[in-house]
Amino acid sequence: MNIRKMTLLANLLAIAIVLNIIESAFPIIPVPGAKLGFANIVTLVVLYIYSFKDSSILTILRVLLVALLSGKLLGPVFYMSIAGAVTATLVMGIMKKTNFFGMIGVSVIGSIFHCIGQIVAGIFVIGSTAIIWYLPIMLFLSIPSGALTGIIAKRFVATWQTWHNEIS
Amino acid sequence: MKQNYWMHDMKKIKSVQTKRDMVLSIALFIVVGALFLLFRLTAFNSDATQAYVYYGDLSNPIVTIDFAYNNGEGRIIKNYDQEVPTEYGAYPIIDEETSTITLLGDYEIDGVRQIVVIEYNFAKKSVQIIQEQSPNNICSREGESTGWPLICLPNRIRVEFDTNEEDFTI
Repeated sequence: MNIRKMTLLANLLAIAIVLNIIESAFPIIPVPGAKLGFANIVTLVVLYIYSFKDSSILTILRVLLVALLSGKLLGPVFYMSIAGAVTATLVMGIMKKTNFFGMIGVSVIGSIFHCIGQIVAGIFVIGSTAIIWYLPIMLFLSIPSGALTGIIAKRFVATWQTWHNEIS
Repeated sequence: MKQNYWMHDMKKIKSVQTKRDMVLSIALFIVVGALFLLFRLTAFNSDATQAYVYYGDLSNPIVTIDFAYNNGEGRIIKNYDQEVPTEYGAYPIIDEETSTITLLGDYEIDGVRQIVVIEYNFAKKSVQIIQEQSPNNICSREGESTGWPLICLPNRIRVEFDTNEEDFTI
């Protein structure tokens, strides 16, 4: 791993943590632990500029560090967010590999699976299937938010590519 | 020359992908939106007959709110005591005068567990969480519910409704 990549990944992780903490403070979606998913921008960017491995490590680190910083480690919300983040990253990695959709499509699919992963973990955490009734509203909101995340990530990657070509 | 062709192909793939992205996003938005509307219009429309108050991942409700009892007169059934450390006292506290049920939540402030106050209304067949401590106060912000489950995740307390008619055993 070269130094440029290392510093970039460290910076991106810091950005992801800050984005995650900021959006936790504004619960726009009335579901426990549900957010707009702006931290997913970083997961998506790293997936496209580096690799699936780097983006999964970064995502898991982000969830762990945010839980540690907000004092929610091993709480019910933590299990839900890690399940959602891992499912989303996995699905996005697979979708990217198929090359069928662009970044926005991959992001939308990722955000749908983020909701599903979260709800499935929620069923185990609270020991009741009642939480499944939140899925329709979460899925409905996840599509525009996933598209928005994808658009931002796409712009970021385009800018990064021009910068990368200039310096190398 | 060869690289130019490659660049051209990449651009073509990118534009095809962007089109697919747009089709996917719009199609999913319409389909999920329609399903969501259908769900909102059809789910939880019938009157609830019972509401159950749960704590943690226990499958037995601590308190049953029986809306249907004696043709809508209603009653509260305490099924068992909530298991709490002795220094907190005894829960649940059922107050029939103010129509409230108080349970001890899991959310702590300065190491002290906080209470969750649930208000029921027999006439409206509704339940509302009127007091709880949590970072986002999601369950108390839900307001009055007549069928929608109320879930206080940080407090690990939830209220679920049942619309079943009473079972008659012969």
